Amino acid sequence: MFEFARYYGSRRLKGTAVMTAGFAVLVALYVWMFPSISDGIDLDAYVASLPPALQQAFGLQALNTIEGFLAAELYAFGWVLLLGIYFAYAAAGLIADDVDRGRMDMLLSLPVSRSKVLLEKFASILVPLVVLNVVTPVVVYLALLGIDESISVTDLAMVHALAVPYLLVAAGVGVLASVVFDRASVAQRVAAGGFFGFFLLDSVTAGTDVAWLGALSPSRYYDPTAVLVASEYDLQGAGLLLAAAVVLVLASRAYFERKDVA
Amino acid sequence: MSAISIAGLTKDYGDVRANDDVTLDVEPGEVFGYLGPNGAGKTTTIRTIMGFQSPTSGTATVLGAPVTDERALVDARERIGYLPANPAFDEEATGREVLDLHASLKGDARRAELLELFDVPVDREIRGYSTGQKQKLGLVQAFMHDPDLLVMDEPTAGLDPLVQRTFNEFVRQEKAAGKTFFLSSHVLSEVRRVCDRIGIIRDGRIVEVASVADVLQRAGKYVRVRVAADVDREDVSLDGVHELTVESVDGGYADLPMATAGGDASDERNADATGTALAELTFTYTGSFDALVDYLDGFHVLELDVEEAPLERVFMRFYDDDETLDVDAETDATAGTEPTRDESTERGDDPMPAGTDAGHGGDA
Repeated sequence: MFEFARYYGSRRLKGTAVMTAGFAVLVALYVWMFPSISDGIDLDAYVASLPPALQQAFGLQALNTIEGFLAAELYAFGWVLLLGIYFAYAAAGLIADDVDRGRMDMLLSLPVSRSKVLLEKFASILVPLVVLNVVTPVVVYLALLGIDESISVTDLAMVHALAVPYLLVAAGVGVLASVVFDRASVAQRVAAGGFFGFFLLDSVTAGTDVAWLGALSPSRYYDPTAVLVASEYDLQGAGLLLAAAVVLVLASRAYFERKDVA
Repeated sequence: MSAISIAGLTKDYGDVRANDDVTLDVEPGEVFGYLGPNGAGKTTTIRTIMGFQSPTSGTATVLGAPVTDERALVDARERIGYLPANPAFDEEATGREVLDLHASLKGDARRAELLELFDVPVDREIRGYSTGQKQKLGLVQAFMHDPDLLVMDEPTAGLDPLVQRTFNEFVRQEKAAGKTFFLSSHVLSEVRRVCDRIGIIRDGRIVEVASVADVLQRAGKYVRVRVAADVDREDVSLDGVHELTVESVDGGYADLPMATAGGDASDERNADATGTALAELTFTYTGSFDALVDYLDGFHVLELDVEEAPLERVFMRFYDDDETLDVDAETDATAGTEPTRDESTERGDDPMPAGTDAGHGGDA
């Protein structure tokens, strides 16, 4: 049981460590910058001058509080956009990369079902997903202690907990592209580009007549600013995201079980 | 029950019909060579019976498991060793890590023994492997769980001759232990050493399934004979001679008793200069040895080579359109494809009678 999950999961440890360290540095940088920025610039006036689409895209609210600042700079940008695209991209390589490089035949010659191959490979992506969301809040908390700021621990935990279903959807989009396209580069471009498209859909339609289109976008259901600034947890949205992730993975599996491996 | 049974297997890729009504059976305990040039459809058949793709029509079973029934096939794969063409592995992993993964899923009772035999640098990252080393790692994983059936796509590709010999020896040994092999190759002389039967595929169709012994017998012998005589192509009346060429030569037999003119004339193309006519005949021979010996008895024979006909030559016959399906008429059909060019025109116009007793060639 879980032979593939263990194998591929352990192969992600190094990359996960590097990425987590990178985000820790980013957190430290933001937190270190915050006191001087919030003193020197009227961030609220600055935000008010920006178009609504941009405000929506990066959850710009209460930027002169540490909660609003982190929500906008770290979470709206780092988590919703960067990590969203990253997980879509990474999951897009799960199947297509092995097919593309001629390794899939060898895997499927083992006494394993295609379902197991797909599900356990998908599970390996949980390694960076979980580690990032466990380590980063600790880093944030400790960094804030360093500048004599504080933040609600519950809100901090929730902003990461609710990020998990969101990032799973991103990975779900990726794995679907991974089974549909045989060339890894195509699958990764489609998944990353598509996920970025969803993100734009939500932000550019904000405040327009077609704002309802944004309902298709996963980012509509994960709002770090609401969590950190207003302590509002969109549990229903999280449930919806989780359901969408499950549907994407099961659809990918069904497709992979039937397809001719190129 | 057959180890592999393929019935009417067709795989259509839309633009290409890679397998067209392929039917063959591989019996338990035999080594079956699946032969054909690159692009003939060998890999398509192999990937279909392994369940990587579904047939457009037709059926196949492997160790009794229908290839379209994933559950049955997954169980069967515990007893199958598989080597793809150009095996690829995680480049960042070491050979050991890959073998560990495979071992966790199918076992590795024979890993140590195989690593000894095939010598893979298991502690190095695979990105640093040569083609041959990847191939050897592929062989180790294919055999290490001691499977009953081995399905191997071009197993000796990329191996140096020494390792090829090790592999062939190992296959013979495993066959003796009751293993079944389904090996593809485009090099006949290679599989001929290990296979019991061969199936030949061409443009997606099976054109021949026969025992190697059978094919070798039909292939006949390759004969090269040099006689001290002037031989006309039309005079060679021996039955069972195919692809005959006759060439007048100056073979440098200056030291032979009848070459009295001395060695300094040996650079002349025409044998006239020495007063001796020499001819070299080469042909593929499917008749009896007695008849051949009787025929040659009429000549002064200077050199004689009789070898097994290269299977490539036989192979080419199978690829000749007119003959592909007409197996029984093989001998006759081949005779009809003799080269028509007259290679005997090189001989001298007025050959001098040789000072030997070889003047009555062709009368045997």
